[in-house]
Amino acid sequence: MTVNKQTPAEADVERKAEAPSAPTRRKIVVTLGLDRFSGLYVWAALIIIFSLWVPSLFDTATNARIIAGSQAITAMVAMGLIVPVACGAFDLSIAGTLGMAVCIVIWFQANGHSFIPGIFVALAFGLLVGLVNSFIVVRLHVDSFIGTLGMSSILLAGTEWVTGGFQVANGISPHFTALGQKQILSLPLPVYYMVIIAIILWWLLEYTPAGRYLYSIGGNPQAARLAGVRVGRITTGAFLVSGLVAAFAGVMLAAELGSSGPDVGGPYLLPAFSAVFLGATQVFPGRVNVPGTLIAIFLLATGVKGLQLAGAPGYINDLFNGAALIIAVALAARARAAQRKA
Amino acid sequence: MTPALTVTDMSKSFGGPRVLDSMQLSVEPGEIRALVGENGSGKSTLIKILAGFHLPDEGAAEVDGQPLPLGDGTASEALGLRFVHQDLGLVNNLDAVDNLALGGGYPSFRGGIRWRQERKRARDALAELGYHFDVRLTVDRLAMSERTALAVARALAPRQTPPKVLILDEPTANLPAAEAERLFQLARRVADSGVAVMFVSHHFDEVFELAQSVTVLRDGKLVTTRPVPGLSEDQLIELVIGRPLEQVAHDAKAAERSALVLDISGLGGDVLDNVHFAVHAGEIVGVAGITGSGRDELARVLFGGLDRTGEVKINGAVVPKLRPDRAMAMGMGLVPAERHANAAFMAATLRENITVVRPSLHFRGGLLRKSPERSDVAKWLDRLDVRPRNSEFPMSDLSGGNQQKVVLARWLRMDPKVLVLDEPTQGVDVGAKSDIHALVDQAAAQGAAVVVVSTDHEELVRLCHRVLVLRRGRIADEITGSRMDHDLITAATIGRDQPDAA
Repeated sequence: MTVNKQTPAEADVERKAEAPSAPTRRKIVVTLGLDRFSGLYVWAALIIIFSLWVPSLFDTATNARIIAGSQAITAMVAMGLIVPVACGAFDLSIAGTLGMAVCIVIWFQANGHSFIPGIFVALAFGLLVGLVNSFIVVRLHVDSFIGTLGMSSILLAGTEWVTGGFQVANGISPHFTALGQKQILSLPLPVYYMVIIAIILWWLLEYTPAGRYLYSIGGNPQAARLAGVRVGRITTGAFLVSGLVAAFAGVMLAAELGSSGPDVGGPYLLPAFSAVFLGATQVFPGRVNVPGTLIAIFLLATGVKGLQLAGAPGYINDLFNGAALIIAVALAARARAAQRKA
Repeated sequence: MTPALTVTDMSKSFGGPRVLDSMQLSVEPGEIRALVGENGSGKSTLIKILAGFHLPDEGAAEVDGQPLPLGDGTASEALGLRFVHQDLGLVNNLDAVDNLALGGGYPSFRGGIRWRQERKRARDALAELGYHFDVRLTVDRLAMSERTALAVARALAPRQTPPKVLILDEPTANLPAAEAERLFQLARRVADSGVAVMFVSHHFDEVFELAQSVTVLRDGKLVTTRPVPGLSEDQLIELVIGRPLEQVAHDAKAAERSALVLDISGLGGDVLDNVHFAVHAGEIVGVAGITGSGRDELARVLFGGLDRTGEVKINGAVVPKLRPDRAMAMGMGLVPAERHANAAFMAATLRENITVVRPSLHFRGGLLRKSPERSDVAKWLDRLDVRPRNSEFPMSDLSGGNQQKVVLARWLRMDPKVLVLDEPTQGVDVGAKSDIHALVDQAAAQGAAVVVVSTDHEELVRLCHRVLVLRRGRIADEITGSRMDHDLITAATIGRDQPDAA
């Protein structure tokens, strides 16, 4: 019944036929080269600016260590988050999982138990949250954004219940806090855990079939399904990874703090999302990825720290992260549009 | 008597050749008129002009003796032209009452909607069409014929003027046979009340059952308007196609009957109903059918992308339903229709697009080895002559034909036992099309059982050993040997039963 109307695909054929392809492609390559590591240039620029602006405070090894140490937890949470986002699912419950893990591992010690079973229970709890999330999203077909938003509120209630709404800091084993506070080569241990997690997830996403499946689902779930990819199973795996990693980050945070309280997790949510989306504009533009996320984390942290040392008020942190999230997503949208045009 | 609708000398082109050329039409009140013609014959354009959606280049129309202001949807409704489009235009998550109100608001509104009154009005309007169902059910919970009735009720709802002409665009396209019969009764009721009914249809049996007269269009021109009594189905098909149906002796490729590979029994889906067929190794079986015949769902039903009843067996082993991964593991491959939605990962590289099926072939020692993967992909890009031949380019850089080759390579790489292709050359240029045909031939020559679902009947003649024709969810005909001809396939899809028996 369609008269004189081209299907998009037909129009596509014609457009491609007309387009002189070689010059277009050269242009893409050039832009990619500029884009792929633009975060590194910005980061370098920030370091130079702050070194000149507040040299006595910023340009010190101690400051570099502080930035690295303070960001290790955020970086772990963000890297765990990459996995569900790669397959097109949001996990807003990571901060809640992190908070619950803190409470669980502290609760064990405050109640006279060893911290070792506490750690295992906390990690198992992270897997459980991932399992429930995936059940909600895959089986009950609840949009992941809504499902995990609900879950994060439930987890917040859980932390209130476990802590009774108070800070808990009694009975903490020094062996436990050593896990988060001990330094090797003057860097705190969590920095090393972060590097190990980064390597594992980078391997998972780039060097395993599972990584391929994740990105294929994120790219076109229907096409993935019709290519024989088990969309439900892979999505479940993604939530298990983000839950487990968030719980591990929580255990490390507990070791750093030596205490727990209600809502210790909350402040980690937005920076993690900012970093993942800003990271998607880096290294492998258009897809969320591990090295890009790490660049984004340290870029953001350097900016915030520099501004704080230069005398900016404390709320600059939230301001900076929120703005970065919006800008990152806008940049990613532009990158996608450019890719479509190309 | 003043005709309910007249169209005189109406022409329209969209920059190219005329898609509607000096159209003439006159429909009497209470008459049921069928409007038939091949795809692209101008039926849609005519209806869209009457609905005020397109402005014609020339010509005029009158409704009940009053000139119709052209290009003005509100005016055509005000004069009494009412439309039910193919997709019905209902809002699925609203109930009947709200859907009726979408056209003309809530008549009982006085500082608040009187729901009781509105529900009664809705019930009455539907009862007049012979339908009785709970008007508080949302549309998605209604049967297809009930939805159609609701759309008709909305079209006929009183506005400033009573309805004069009801125009239905392929009203039975989405209806199972039993529900189509109810729709016919409904149409007759409407006509009995003095409203002219004009319907577009591809089902010729419908034309003969329902219409009093039929208008045939071809290439934008009026061929004829004739009373239905006295017209035979063969004559009508000739009028539509424009030449007599020849039964050319066709040099069809003889299927070498080898091992049975794909065995389908009692297959049912949304429309598909108790379909049986078998495909042997090396055989290419085509499937034809109009929209709504079950053709569009067959490929995905086979692969497990859509739910099914019945059995699909590969080499005697039953393929579980709704498990594309199992179908794949058992040796089936699917090149789905609508590449953009169902097959292509536009942002991913050609390499990733091809190896998304079983990337594990290059997973050794805990690592996906990218350089063997690249050379594997390069081999396929080479074999299928994909341009540009660079495994690292994004899919979005390729033309439609090359994208389709990449999707095909994805499955050929698996050396499938069963290859199902759904509209394999949709939106593909001529060169790529013949390449793709050659590749399908090759796959069959290497022993694959191939199923080609296509609306391109020349393609089916070119590729297939035999063609199954689906009508209303069932296999209505099987075209083989001397009957392999694209006009004959077209004729069979629109309802010419058993021409050999005649």
